[in-house]
Amino acid sequence: MNWQLRTRAAGLNVLIPLVAVVLALATVALLLVAVGSNPLDAYRDMWNAALGDRFALSTTVTKTMPRLLAALGIALALRAGLWNIGAEGQLYVGALATTAVALYAPDLGAPFLITAALVAGALAGAGWALIPGVLRATRGVSEVITSLMLVYIGIQLTNYVLEGPWSQPGSTFPSSPYVPTGASLPVIVGGTLLNAGALVGLALVALAWFLMSHSTFGLRLNAIGGNERAARVAGVRVSLMIVLAMAASGAFAGLAGGMEVLGVRGRLVEGFSPGYGFEAIAIALLGRLNAFGILGAALLFGALDAGSAGLQTAAQGVPASISQVAEGLAVAYVLVGLGLASIIQRRRAARAALRAAAEQPASGEPDVLPIPTESVVDS
Amino acid sequence: MNSHFFAQLLVATVALATPLLLAALGELISETAGVINIELEGMMLCGAFAAVWAAHGSGSVVVGFLAAAAGGLFLAAIHGILCLFFRANQVVSGIVLNIFALGLTSFLLATALGPTTSPVATLHSLRVPMLADLPGVGKAFFDQNVVVYAAYLMIPCVWLLLNRSPLGLALKAAGERPAAAESLGVRVTLTRWLALSICGVLAGLGGGLLALAAIGFFTENMTAGRGFISLAAVIFGRWRTTGTAAAVVLFAAADGFQIRLQALGIVHIAPQFLVMLPYLVTLVALAGLMRRMRPPSALGVNYLSS
Repeated sequence: MNWQLRTRAAGLNVLIPLVAVVLALATVALLLVAVGSNPLDAYRDMWNAALGDRFALSTTVTKTMPRLLAALGIALALRAGLWNIGAEGQLYVGALATTAVALYAPDLGAPFLITAALVAGALAGAGWALIPGVLRATRGVSEVITSLMLVYIGIQLTNYVLEGPWSQPGSTFPSSPYVPTGASLPVIVGGTLLNAGALVGLALVALAWFLMSHSTFGLRLNAIGGNERAARVAGVRVSLMIVLAMAASGAFAGLAGGMEVLGVRGRLVEGFSPGYGFEAIAIALLGRLNAFGILGAALLFGALDAGSAGLQTAAQGVPASISQVAEGLAVAYVLVGLGLASIIQRRRAARAALRAAAEQPASGEPDVLPIPTESVVDS
Repeated sequence: MNSHFFAQLLVATVALATPLLLAALGELISETAGVINIELEGMMLCGAFAAVWAAHGSGSVVVGFLAAAAGGLFLAAIHGILCLFFRANQVVSGIVLNIFALGLTSFLLATALGPTTSPVATLHSLRVPMLADLPGVGKAFFDQNVVVYAAYLMIPCVWLLLNRSPLGLALKAAGERPAAAESLGVRVTLTRWLALSICGVLAGLGGGLLALAAIGFFTENMTAGRGFISLAAVIFGRWRTTGTAAAVVLFAAADGFQIRLQALGIVHIAPQFLVMLPYLVTLVALAGLMRRMRPPSALGVNYLSS
């Protein structure tokens, strides 16, 4: 994935995602025309529901948070070339642990209770991600499938607790009891949904930015992602770093789940995440593995979600699922853009090599053209 | 639990296994050639939607199944363009296409098809004379629709394809040593396109079967993780035809058992643990606690021909 992580032209990292988002929205507009809806009306309603006033903005921020946190964690691991595609599961076990602490230790004072509950969520997420991390570090098992399998194990574990030990008599939908009021993240702007979790989110963007771009930890992750063998030769303890990177990655996702419980729903609800952890992978890529890029991408996804929820109430006959179509298309276009960029780069390199060879008169040994015969581009 | 319980369990297992089997065999072929499809779930979903949409429009189950294959192929083609042409990472493409497929099918359900559409015609079952009367197993195996019989046949066909045919050799070469294969005249990218297309068609048919075998309508996210279970079956089956088929049967039986237990009101086995079984055993198998697992060497690794 070297070329993708370190595209030489930094401008492409901004240009490609922006063009991709515009193209995705244009494609969705065509789709809306095709089914006989007016895309301008739909986009206006979405804009109003996502960004129209203070309340709409707070909805967008609320829907951004879980995606943002999970995506930061995914990016952190991806810097080391690790695919944590199990954030969705880490999110669920994180929410489970946070809820457990909030329900079983209500006597702690409010700030301590919130802190303890969120720390428990982060630890649970870290623990869940540790399994694929350890398997990768010690046995060389690819973390892709193991982390994916753990998603469904985590979700079913949560379902078990909600339908078994925590089941509420008379409740129609499996959910835990409400957490005590002292455990709820307070709303920080009256009359909106904006809760203290947004501040935590911003702090974590800064933390992830520091970790990824300005810390030895981040440098080591980058080294492993660039060339694992070279990193080992340079003295990086690769196995330890892999385990730490996965755990840190899972901690972000676990925290995302915990904050969703304490900040948004007030209790753990079965199936509360409509795939935040999977969308987060798309967000990490759209944000080009940069903390602020990810913030932007997560806000976009949050706004699409908030906006499309508004569509349903606006009764335009346009279903909320167009946000998922737009999200999928946006990242698909990013992949196309990156692919194009690499094809152009390769052509240029090949041409430059040919030119160099042509200008150099034959002198004994033939030059070896630096055209890759086999290149494992694992972008 | 009497023989009646087990006869019913068997019926449920065959019904649950067939869509998984089609998708898993497709994924096996694709992974053998080095292409992993996390979007198997999305392929099934597209297949299921296309099946209902086309069957609704045409009134024909056959057209429905053709459309199901096309639906799966549609998503496979996007995966191929992104990964085989633009050489995007296969995992990212798979995740993104799952989101896209869920969004698109839900969108089209609400707009083009309409959620209140009445059920379309479903497949008739074709009783095999004599065999269908066998006690215990007859109804489960020999009183099924034609696609189920075709799925049975797929197991030996895929085995022959992978183990006894020149094409199978090319697929394995593309998935193990693409560079060496190319130097021996195997067109790796083309071979991978072919394997991916077969996977799209089979997964689409699996989704179509889900929609057209009995219920005749499409609901949002109706595959509900079956694509991921099929993906797990290929791994738990250690990338072999017989292993994959056996894993599918095991996973379907666990699901059928869970459903039967709940239907009977037996609750002292928490159903969630049976539902998580496919993922749990696959995880344990991957962890190497059982037998050594060896995926195709170049699985998920893109290949750039010179």
